[in-house]
Amino acid sequence: MSVEVEVNENDLAEMVEQVWESYLDPEGLSPLLLTYDENQSSEVHSSVSISGSWTGHIVYASSFPAARRAAAAFMAAEPDEVSEEDLADVLGELANIVGGNVKAMLPDGAYLSLPQVVFAPEATARYPNAHRVSGVYGLWDGEPVSISMWQIRGDNNKEGAE
Amino acid sequence: MKILIADDSRVMRQIVVRTLRQAGFGDHVLIEAANGREALEKTKAEDPDLVLSDWNMPEMNGIECLRQLRAAGNDVKFGFVTSESTPEMKEQAETAGALFFIVKPFSAERFDEVLAPILG
Repeated sequence: MSVEVEVNENDLAEMVEQVWESYLDPEGLSPLLLTYDENQSSEVHSSVSISGSWTGHIVYASSFPAARRAAAAFMAAEPDEVSEEDLADVLGELANIVGGNVKAMLPDGAYLSLPQVVFAPEATARYPNAHRVSGVYGLWDGEPVSISMWQIRGDNNKEGAE
Repeated sequence: MKILIADDSRVMRQIVVRTLRQAGFGDHVLIEAANGREALEKTKAEDPDLVLSDWNMPEMNGIECLRQLRAAGNDVKFGFVTSESTPEMKEQAETAGALFFIVKPFSAERFDEVLAPILG
């Protein structure tokens, strides 16, 4: 059975801040403004799964404009130069970066999957026996972006996303 | 010098290239591989001086690529640029012969700090 989660919202927020500083907003002009709204909408999402000492999923979700802007920032390009392939690549990498950093905070024996990207709202995802344990929700220049952690427990039958 | 960048994300390979330039290493020859197997083949075929490799990749991961290179007698300088960095992984990497870990998200300063002693 996986351990109780040891990564809280402050840890996630710190990881998100590092991603913004390094890739999405290196000049510090457009930070992610936290809304704490767990039910904010999304149009695309990406995820990585962690198994072993902790079992669950890390999910990055956003609107299309926020995804396009993220891809443009990664590529040092303009948003209208971003292809669908670029969008998928960057969304997967965002989930991978946060997932890798989450994994580093877990006990030894955790394994990270390759990312999966879905051009559909996070609300369409179903993670069997998983429940949300932590999340950072915010607006990036008015567009919704969230990063959440879903833990799988063998001792209940709850199913998400809700 | 020739540097091989292995990452399954094309955009991340672009970022590594950009960061190498920002850190002052843009005048080296840069070649790319999209997974560990391709990195293994290109390292054997093109004989780079340094391999910067992601850990988690399809086909073959970075640590397996390093192990196979060493098993084949190839002693190319090899380091990881990855979102994952646990004591367990660092031990595996060191045992296999890796020189360093650069964790994503990274900065040009971090590249300079790690690569300057290697690339000069």
